[in-house]
Amino acid sequence: MDSEFAAGAVSESVALVVDRALDAYRRLGDLGEQITDEWQYVNDLVAVHSADLRALVVADPERLLPAAAVWAVDLAIEEIGLIEDPHRAIDWLSTFPQIVGIAATPPTAAG
Amino acid sequence: MRFQAAALDGRAIVYAGIQADPLIRRIADLLADATPAELVLARAVMNGQRTDAEVWRAMFPALFDPAAVELVDVPERREHAQKLLAASIEVADRGEQTRSQFRGAIVEELTARLLARRVPPEAIRRERRVLFDGVPAEIHPYDVTVELGARAEVYDCKWGARGIGADVLHQLDDARRHAAEEEQKLFVALVVFDSRRSAEVRLARLTAPRSETRVFTLESLGRLAGTRK
Repeated sequence: MDSEFAAGAVSESVALVVDRALDAYRRLGDLGEQITDEWQYVNDLVAVHSADLRALVVADPERLLPAAAVWAVDLAIEEIGLIEDPHRAIDWLSTFPQIVGIAATPPTAAG
Repeated sequence: MRFQAAALDGRAIVYAGIQADPLIRRIADLLADATPAELVLARAVMNGQRTDAEVWRAMFPALFDPAAVELVDVPERREHAQKLLAASIEVADRGEQTRSQFRGAIVEELTARLLARRVPPEAIRRERRVLFDGVPAEIHPYDVTVELGARAEVYDCKWGARGIGADVLHQLDDARRHAAEEEQKLFVALVVFDSRRSAEVRLARLTAPRSETRVFTLESLGRLAGTRK
């Protein structure tokens, strides 16, 4: 990243980055649970997408992500941290894992 | 089986104004040629809290700074992503209520654009009901239809997987079944501007019939146009 945003970013292992993402994702799920009619859907989403995120780590937990990818995930974490509306939280329960997936998937696998 | 325009009530008139907004057409054009990652970007921005383009560019280095994540830079793709980002921010900038209305209209327009690559554009209609002899008309019109002499297709469009409910699944399957009773073929489908995984999660808990209902998601929107992805 060539902007001021990435100035302090450094490479990190995929395990550390995904751990941070999962913590933030659980908090997003807690917010979404406030819509009681969607309690089951929220928990199903969190379970399925969390498993998919953990799968990014399994093959090689120590794989280093480029600084720009680490920063991308941290910005996505920051974005969902700004959400106060539980309806929007539910929307992001689907979007956030996709952003993390794009950032943390090895380039060859990403095509 | 026959098609009929939905009644133009107050809500429909307001919605028709939104559908005619040039921004809807511009972003639908961009989405029709978007990569899966660009579709995720557009959904994120239009659902996002922030409207600072620099934040979104940094959140998607694969699109805007591919060399930084060990990907090959294709300037034409980067330029396309820039245009899509700008249009998505314009939608987000319209405020919460308007952006919510825009998002639905965008999915419908995108669906129509993609279908127009496979069928004659004049066969594609919006806000239509399907009528069958001796069957009460459905409450909700279909967002997009393809009306060809030999066959027909109906599409219900959703911004997110959360919008999938038993009512829409029943309506789609009922229409298909009634068409079959009249010995006609009706292809029924949901277009969901969301991930396949989330749509699967939503559908897994619903018991309404869906085995004959096709679901297109961010990963498979291109198939509306008859392409493999």
